[in-house]
Amino acid sequence: MVVSVGVLYYCIGYTGYISTLSWDGASPQPIPIGTQNYTRLFEDPVFWKSIAHTGIFFVVTFAVQVGLGMFFAILLHSKVQLGVLYKVLIFIPVVLAPATMAPVFRQIYAPEGQLNQLIQAFGPRDFDYAWLADQNTALMVVMSVAIWQSTGVVFVLYYAAMSQIEPDVMEAARLDGAGNLRIIRSIIWPGVRGTTLAIAILTAIGSLKTFDWPFLVTQGGPAYGTEFLGTQIYRVSVALSQVGYGAALSIVLLVLALSVAIVLNIAGKDKEASRV
Amino acid sequence: MFQAKRRLIRSALVTTGFLAAGALALSGCSASAPSNDGGSATEGTIQWWSWTPDNDLAQREIAEFNKEFPNIKVTFKKVPNADYTGVLRPALASNDGPDVFTVAASGAVGPVNVFAPYAQDLTPAIAEKLGSDWKSQIAPTMADAFTVQGKLAGLPWAKQGAGKMWINKDLFDKYGLSAPTTLQEWVKVCETFRANGHGCFKEGVGGSGFDVDTLHSIANSVEPGVFTAAARGEKKWTDPAMVKAWEIFKQLSENGILDEGAVGVQQYPDVNNAFLTGKVPMVQMGYWYSQYATVNSLTAALSGAGVPAETPKITIVPVPFPDVAGKGNPSTVFSDPDAAQAVNTKSKSRSAATTFALWLGGSKAGQQVVANNVDSIPTLKGVEAAWDSVQLVNPEVQTPLLREFAKETAESTEPRQQSLAAVHIQAVIDANQALLTGQRSPSQVAEDVQSVADANPVSK
Repeated sequence: MVVSVGVLYYCIGYTGYISTLSWDGASPQPIPIGTQNYTRLFEDPVFWKSIAHTGIFFVVTFAVQVGLGMFFAILLHSKVQLGVLYKVLIFIPVVLAPATMAPVFRQIYAPEGQLNQLIQAFGPRDFDYAWLADQNTALMVVMSVAIWQSTGVVFVLYYAAMSQIEPDVMEAARLDGAGNLRIIRSIIWPGVRGTTLAIAILTAIGSLKTFDWPFLVTQGGPAYGTEFLGTQIYRVSVALSQVGYGAALSIVLLVLALSVAIVLNIAGKDKEASRV
Repeated sequence: MFQAKRRLIRSALVTTGFLAAGALALSGCSASAPSNDGGSATEGTIQWWSWTPDNDLAQREIAEFNKEFPNIKVTFKKVPNADYTGVLRPALASNDGPDVFTVAASGAVGPVNVFAPYAQDLTPAIAEKLGSDWKSQIAPTMADAFTVQGKLAGLPWAKQGAGKMWINKDLFDKYGLSAPTTLQEWVKVCETFRANGHGCFKEGVGGSGFDVDTLHSIANSVEPGVFTAAARGEKKWTDPAMVKAWEIFKQLSENGILDEGAVGVQQYPDVNNAFLTGKVPMVQMGYWYSQYATVNSLTAALSGAGVPAETPKITIVPVPFPDVAGKGNPSTVFSDPDAAQAVNTKSKSRSAATTFALWLGGSKAGQQVVANNVDSIPTLKGVEAAWDSVQLVNPEVQTPLLREFAKETAESTEPRQQSLAAVHIQAVIDANQALLTGQRSPSQVAEDVQSVADANPVSK
């Protein structure tokens, strides 16, 4: 345990050290530059774009995943035929590798892709919108793909959490005349509060670390329209050989992830306390 | 009990210390001096890592090498361009990196200036093989391009050129069209293709940087040499000729020449697959694309694109870039010392690795295979592809044009991207994307690139 923790924190410490260097990652003589990488970071418009995209990504993916995950969980807790099959279908995207699926999504959203063909079938026949070439729609594509993949996990978490709610409580509510919406609002939603908080923390940290989908589908583009901290770190560290600057971005990412986790935890506990 | 606990903690701390020291040593980022004699020069097993050439071409080169050196087993590992630098860096920092690794003269993919600390000085070896006048026996600027602080860090192996368009001759013939030579002709050709359900000029401006070549060609049409002058810091990127070049680039999009959504498209695999499967008639690629004029490489590429084996093999030919500025400036080919083979100073098979690098770049036999692969131009003077033995899809049409492109690339002295550091290339890519997405005007992107150039002055 001590060894593992030692190595883990050594890596973080070493990244912190690299962040104070001007270094291409291979040169034997890196140049110490103090906090210059950090000051540069705050003047870097791409960094702020990455932060903004992370915020949008978190809000949208969290809201949609929670909505869909809860919807599926409630649906499958009721008496539905072929329930097991639906559970499998909802969960399958979770186990598919992004590297395998990225070309599929690039094809679906291409100007001659299946999405446009679908729109052509029901609307204008010459519709050939380049979804990945527009900054706004490209970000939507990345978010939609992430939601497609992660909703299965949220569903499983909610499904398990709902299993913990006493059926008697719901039965009593029904006898008191509560409808479905009232039961969801007053019994299920408070009952899965801890799960929602956990999902929020996981989604927030996942948003900060987002890399695979934007890198594989849009390469962070167009014009940095889908750049996230992860893709920026990779680009400056690898393509531009600015390893020191990449390390500074990594440290900022770490600080943000820890801060978000702490804030969400505290917020969750405060709310819990106020309900007692 | 407390003593046992203390011992446990102490031993854990000591182990952690050792691990940390080991990690420090690993990440110490300096190439340690060779701790072995380098082994035999005629036998052994070596690992060769590179982003180029394709696997089938590399295997041909290795097979030919083994005819001369049957006791040296070479294992080729092709790493995609985008990953190469990231993969190579930790590999070389460890003691288990490749024995031979390919380096580039410039850019972001394996740049020699980044990896030179891990490379053995090959000057004595090449001087012994070719004589003291070895520099005069290889293409100009090659030796200098791979010399870092007086050390020949990689043995030049291939030269690469760009500046031409590739067209699907079969599609042009089908609609009775000729390759466009002016902007107006280009617009009309594209109208015909689009009316028949094809794309026209497809370009991946999504980040891989091939659009830098297109901008270069446009700039040469406006004013020959202006792109190179800007890249070298001899002219400003805000020069009126460069602003005009960006204006024309934008016109390609507005006039229906450039296919929709270029900034959301990657040159590989999107553009490559679309062109080779006959969906679009025109792309801008360099000499490396000649390999797809051959039956074997085109078959392999189509297989990789997942199309049925019976898909017809198209006739691809290089044509001059149109005179888009209408000033009568001819299309030019620009070239770079593309790649060289470096020998890892830590390799336990340094001698065998050196034999391989020398054979590939410094022997007529090695360079002949490189030439016959028609993927890049050999660097050793006097070696050219044996075109009669290269199996092309349509030899009658393709051979003269490919031979001409090879000659132009071999003789070209205009640098392609050699004067551009990775950060400059990124700035041009950013400019092209901002321009085509309508975020910035031609004069604004010129200022953007100039501000990056000012912050990162050209070192040479």
